[in-house]
Amino acid sequence: MQRGSTLEQLPLGADAQRAAVDKARQSLGSIILGKDREISLALACLLARGHLLIEDLPGLGKTILAQSLASVLGLSFQRIQFTSDLLPADIVGVSIFQQQQGVFKFQPGPIFAQLVLADEVNRATPKAQSALLEAMEEHQVSVDGKTHKLPTPYFVVATQNPSDQIGTFPLPESQLDRFLMRLELGYPDEESERALITGVDRRELLSEIKPALNADILLKLQETAAKIHMTDPLIDYVQALVRFTRESPDIETGLSPRGSLALVAAARSHAFIEHHSGVFPDDVQAIFVAVAGHRLKAASNSAYRTPAELSRHVLDSVAIP
Amino acid sequence: MSKRSGTDGSLLASLPWTLAALTFSVLPHLQFLPLWATFVFLACSAWRWQVECKRWRLPPAWLRIALSLICFIGVLASYESISGVGPGSALLTVMAALKLLETKQRRDQFVLLFISIFLIMSSLLREQFLWSLPYLVAGVLFTMTAWLRMSTSSQVSIGDSFKTGARLIAYAAPLTVAMWIFFPRIATPFWAVPIDTSSASSGLSDRMSPGDISSLSMSNAVAFRVKFEGTVPPPQERYWRGLVLYRFNGRTWSGNEPSLGSGARREVDYLGDPLRYQVTMEPTQQHWVIALDIPYEWDLDHTFMARQHQLASVQPIDQRVAYTVVSYTSFRLNSKLPEFARSYYTRLPENGNRRTLELSRQMRDDAPGEEAFIRDVLQKFNKEEYFYTLEPPALGRDPVDSFLFDTRRGFCEHYASAFAVMMRAVGIPSRVVLGYQGGEMNPMGDYMIVRQADAHAWTEVWLAGRGWYRIDPTAAVAPERIESGRSAAMFDGIAASWGFTAPSEFLYQLTLTWDMLNAKWNDLILGYGPENQGKFMEWLGMDEPDWRQMMLTLVAIVTILIAIISVLLMLRYRPPPRDTAAILYQKFTQKSGVPPARGETPLSYAVRLAREQAGMAGDAASITAQYLDARYGPPDLTAIERLQASVNEFSRRF
Repeated sequence: MQRGSTLEQLPLGADAQRAAVDKARQSLGSIILGKDREISLALACLLARGHLLIEDLPGLGKTILAQSLASVLGLSFQRIQFTSDLLPADIVGVSIFQQQQGVFKFQPGPIFAQLVLADEVNRATPKAQSALLEAMEEHQVSVDGKTHKLPTPYFVVATQNPSDQIGTFPLPESQLDRFLMRLELGYPDEESERALITGVDRRELLSEIKPALNADILLKLQETAAKIHMTDPLIDYVQALVRFTRESPDIETGLSPRGSLALVAAARSHAFIEHHSGVFPDDVQAIFVAVAGHRLKAASNSAYRTPAELSRHVLDSVAIP
Repeated sequence: MSKRSGTDGSLLASLPWTLAALTFSVLPHLQFLPLWATFVFLACSAWRWQVECKRWRLPPAWLRIALSLICFIGVLASYESISGVGPGSALLTVMAALKLLETKQRRDQFVLLFISIFLIMSSLLREQFLWSLPYLVAGVLFTMTAWLRMSTSSQVSIGDSFKTGARLIAYAAPLTVAMWIFFPRIATPFWAVPIDTSSASSGLSDRMSPGDISSLSMSNAVAFRVKFEGTVPPPQERYWRGLVLYRFNGRTWSGNEPSLGSGARREVDYLGDPLRYQVTMEPTQQHWVIALDIPYEWDLDHTFMARQHQLASVQPIDQRVAYTVVSYTSFRLNSKLPEFARSYYTRLPENGNRRTLELSRQMRDDAPGEEAFIRDVLQKFNKEEYFYTLEPPALGRDPVDSFLFDTRRGFCEHYASAFAVMMRAVGIPSRVVLGYQGGEMNPMGDYMIVRQADAHAWTEVWLAGRGWYRIDPTAAVAPERIESGRSAAMFDGIAASWGFTAPSEFLYQLTLTWDMLNAKWNDLILGYGPENQGKFMEWLGMDEPDWRQMMLTLVAIVTILIAIISVLLMLRYRPPPRDTAAILYQKFTQKSGVPPARGETPLSYAVRLAREQAGMAGDAASITAQYLDARYGPPDLTAIERLQASVNEFSRRF
């Protein structure tokens, strides 16, 4: 049933869908070197209709990744540079009085794009942050009592510098939950860095790149990804993982049901990207750090300090049924 | 898409079953189908099988469309119609054959098996014999097995598929029986299916030309069965009246379509004691209703006594009917005969059969009275060289003359005809009655079987003061033909038609038993109509339920049965111990000698194994991929088969 209904709804055949995904990955990989895993995760996040938080030190290619995602996927792109004096209206838009017609007209803000890069989101005040997060959650904004729908697909890539830097407002945990995944890009390996140094300027490359997808295809891919087959043993595995995070003495707060849903959605689209016949345990493990890392809070006496360590601990402790 | 490629042979395992099930279902239709339809079916089956074996391509769409059109026109040409059982089943058969030519995948095979079920059901529209039920069950079982062969992996043995099929039928059986018993039977159902009638045996013919037929068909087919309520009358009283012929053109005797003789029943004086009995008559396509000479009361609807005192139904008897009759074997018919009727029954053609006429007149002159004359004629048949045979020589231009004077051999029709002509020659009104004589008691069921071979012709003459009086000239020639109950075994020819020179006692007993079972089948199963259902409901305590009540009862019973069966199935259900795929994978990891770590995914394990045991790298990759597909992919039994094959092969090597 599952396979049949998917195919019928899609004029785009399964093979064509796979080819489109592969092409997108390849294009992204040619710009961001040596970060195949992160690219896959970013794509999976997007196909699962989730938002992405990239957290890392400046200069590691966060902005480039967001920009190239927009270009390769063929989405409209807006960038909002978050600063301490940013106001919600700067994000959402304002109603301006039109002198000639004598009416107020809504002037959409930068948030009205299919892919929005919220750069250095932790440098703005909580007020500005929550304007963005509400829009992400509801896929619409209300200004002066009027509701404005955001475009589809809608995808927010927020970047954040690690919070131990001066003059920042780190996103509270409740709001981190709104991001399906949190990625850390990390330093490139030597080979990639060398290619980066010697190669063409990335921004120049970016302007030349041709989109591999468009919004319509992306919507269809999202549909297909959401229907990837998931067997009982795999659901058992996800449940075992979630149960472990709730029961482990190393973890203060475990995964919420929203976290379980996020795990499943992300694993499905990862399986889709990897062309798996169904969701494999490998898919769950591949997305686990990115999806669960920012949702788990280590206990104060825990030996596992970083989210990555904590996630690894969970994965290594839970047997695959 | 690219060019059409040939078949991939994926149906090789299940196609023979589908073909066999289809053939099994078509088989009962074969004898009724036009020859070309059978050929189309066989040819398409063989073609499809070759396509699968040789990986040929299936015929292109235009060819299939053309073939369908040709077959459709063929059916239309053969039957001049497309409705009814005959053309319907022919169409179903050829279309099933053509469907084979576009059968690419499982789904098409499902359609074919549906058609197979439909075909075997539709064969019931033609014949509902005792063996139809076992054949039907076998056909459904066959189709179910084909179904299971198609849906399960080849690991499941044929016997298991067979058992599963039988089990499914067993689950359905109580429901079927309940539905059969309680589904409201309506006397004139609006869903009545046109029963195919072309094949029914016609029984008595409505004319008689003894000169033409040189041999009488000695069919063993049952004409009707009789159950007497009291004593069984002796053979010489068992004259089963069929129809009456009274027009003679020198060669052929014929009668009229039955017409209501308003006073026919009043012309009968019933004497002696009544005989009460039930007749179950096979369809004849004719209007005549068989009853013992001479009927007094009968309970068959739309049936009347026709002018010559034979029973006739307004509708042709096109299906088996059962009715009760009260007859008097002792009676007097038409004590008065009007003048015009008298001329009717004495009419002879002007020319022809001159020698017979002369002889009759001469004998009449020699005899003192009419009765003496009749006796003389019978004496002549008895004393002179006349022979009873079932294979008489053909007769010439004046059949009565050549029979009486030349050949002197014949069976009942010859004697009846000759006798009636001789009577008419001297002005005695006479007519020929066609019917059955005798019958054979079946001790197994305590009823009488009358076969087509018991068909008989006798005469009635009208005598002043006595009315119509039955005279059987055959009795004068071959008294044993009349006196023995069992006519068939007595005469040459019948044995030959059985295929033995003399049927053995055992075989005879066997046929009697078989006939008894058939009679029971007719009575209990096929005869389960509105009347019997009403009786049964009464017995159950439902007094004259209307169909609403019956339907509610049916729904209630079916619901309860389904509930019971479901509960039984639930109690029997044992969850599968563990995924087969998981067990196989575990076997692989144990054999490899490298235990997987806790929380290690199959893919990362495969990478580690390849690093630690270089020789296993290939196996690790392929088995892991197969395991993931089988365990985490969409349901696919072949994936498990592949995994099993790989793991088995792996464990053989390491």
